[in-house]
Amino acid sequence: MTSNPTDEQAGMGSIQTVRGGTAVSIENVSKWYGNFQVLRDVNLHVATGERIVVCGPSGSGKSTLIRCVNQLEKHQRGRIVVNGTELRPGTKGLPAIRREVGMVFQQFNLFPHLNVIDNCTLALVRARKLARNAAEAVAMENLTRVRIPEQAKKFPAQLSGGQQQRVAIARALCMKPKIMLFDEPTSALDPEMIKEVLDVMTRLADEGMTMICVTHEMGFAREVADRVIFMDGGEIVEQANPAEFFSNPVQVRTRQFLSQLLH
Amino acid sequence: MTFLQILLGIYEGFGITAIVTVLGLLYAIPFALLAGILQHFSTGAARWVVTATIEFWRSSPVIVLLYAFYYSLPAFGINLSAISVGAMVLGLNIGGYGSQSVRAALQTLNRGQREAGLALGLSRIEVLRFVELPQAIAAMTPTFINQAIQLIKGTSLVSLLTLTDMTFRAKEIAQLSYNPVGVYSGLLVAYLIICYPVTIFGRRLERSAAKGRGASHEF
Ligand SMILES: Nc1ncnc2c1ncn2[C@@H]1O[C@H](COP(=O)(O)OP(=O)(O)O)[C@@H](O)[C@H]1O
Ligand SMILES: [Mg+2]
Repeated sequence: MTSNPTDEQAGMGSIQTVRGGTAVSIENVSKWYGNFQVLRDVNLHVATGERIVVCGPSGSGKSTLIRCVNQLEKHQRGRIVVNGTELRPGTKGLPAIRREVGMVFQQFNLFPHLNVIDNCTLALVRARKLARNAAEAVAMENLTRVRIPEQAKKFPAQLSGGQQQRVAIARALCMKPKIMLFDEPTSALDPEMIKEVLDVMTRLADEGMTMICVTHEMGFAREVADRVIFMDGGEIVEQANPAEFFSNPVQVRTRQFLSQLLH
Repeated sequence: MTFLQILLGIYEGFGITAIVTVLGLLYAIPFALLAGILQHFSTGAARWVVTATIEFWRSSPVIVLLYAFYYSLPAFGINLSAISVGAMVLGLNIGGYGSQSVRAALQTLNRGQREAGLALGLSRIEVLRFVELPQAIAAMTPTFINQAIQLIKGTSLVSLLTLTDMTFRAKEIAQLSYNPVGVYSGLLVAYLIICYPVTIFGRRLERSAAKGRGASHEF
């Protein structure tokens, strides 16, 4: 987009190790479900390579916000620019834009009829038109990255929740996305499996991936996030770097939320 | 006539029964998929048209459809063979039922499946083809096998269009042998011998589907 001279940089390379450029711009975005306003004039700019953690009470619009970034939900007002392309109703080439934005869901959403490697290669073969051999090589590379290459021939139902979520991360990474969105990736997991998933996410962050993570794992937020966003009632109520956010929350709602979270 | 002779006599009509069944499936499967998918996706007037088409084939008495198409189409200058009319009417009737299984199977899929496919950058059609349909088809296969058996049994109606199928042969033999009890029990057995293996096949498919996989990812 013309207004931002650094946007071009965001269009290069699979993972940006150098910060700079804007990966995602969310400007004055509002959305309604019927009469219910789920997003209220949200503004958020995510720099390339930046790690954002989004938290807030259930129903505050966190999922809706990140789902607008890959247009699984349509916003009704405001502007969203992803990797230099504005997302409008009827934007052409939405699949191509989505290929640059990986998403990991709370419920994994692996394809149960496909084994692990076919889960990873499906979009490479069908959307990116890669030859099967090449796609399988990419899949194995990313399954190794999430430390699960030995499960390539298994079906999702044969894996633990933690393993399934790591496969889901690998599947998203296969598309070489520039941005990764995580929607409560550990909320459906048994406690003993949370760490293996967070470890993979932490390593991804260390590699310089631009990440927007909806999570209530505050240890992860402290360690990995550049910025923590607190949402309530469809608004961004407060944002700060993790040190400030946890030690010095300004807003009453943030304090209440944090004290509930820490019991 | 011995019972075996009766059976062999009846199976002289097997060719017609088989041809009408196979051609019927060639109508039923595409119609079920197409109508089920269209009904799932369409809205408003388009949906009404799809639903009306399905209901026409599904809810009209098959025998009335057979007579209507066989005897009245020639009046409009369309001459179809008895086999064509039989296969089309029986196939679209079963396909009408099948479409409801397709639609139901698509509707019960978790919407996360669609979202995961879209998020990977697949188009809506690709998601349907590679993510939703393979799962829907695996889920509805047992129902579909049952419907195929309905089709086999339904082919007995084409004897009314003077086709020499198994039922028609039984009627012929019964008239010659004056042994309706023997002949019609033979006919029952003759259909059972064909349908039972299909039932067994369907159960086996159902079991492999219950293992949570088994569907190919190619559609
Ligand atoms: N498809 C929908 N239709 C109507 N209301 C919805 C829909 N999806 C979400 N909502 C409502 O929007 C609000 C925000 O939802 P969500 O973004 O999922 O919140 P969070 O992820 O923060 O828990 C909730 O009150 C939810 O009930
Ligand atoms: Mg949510």
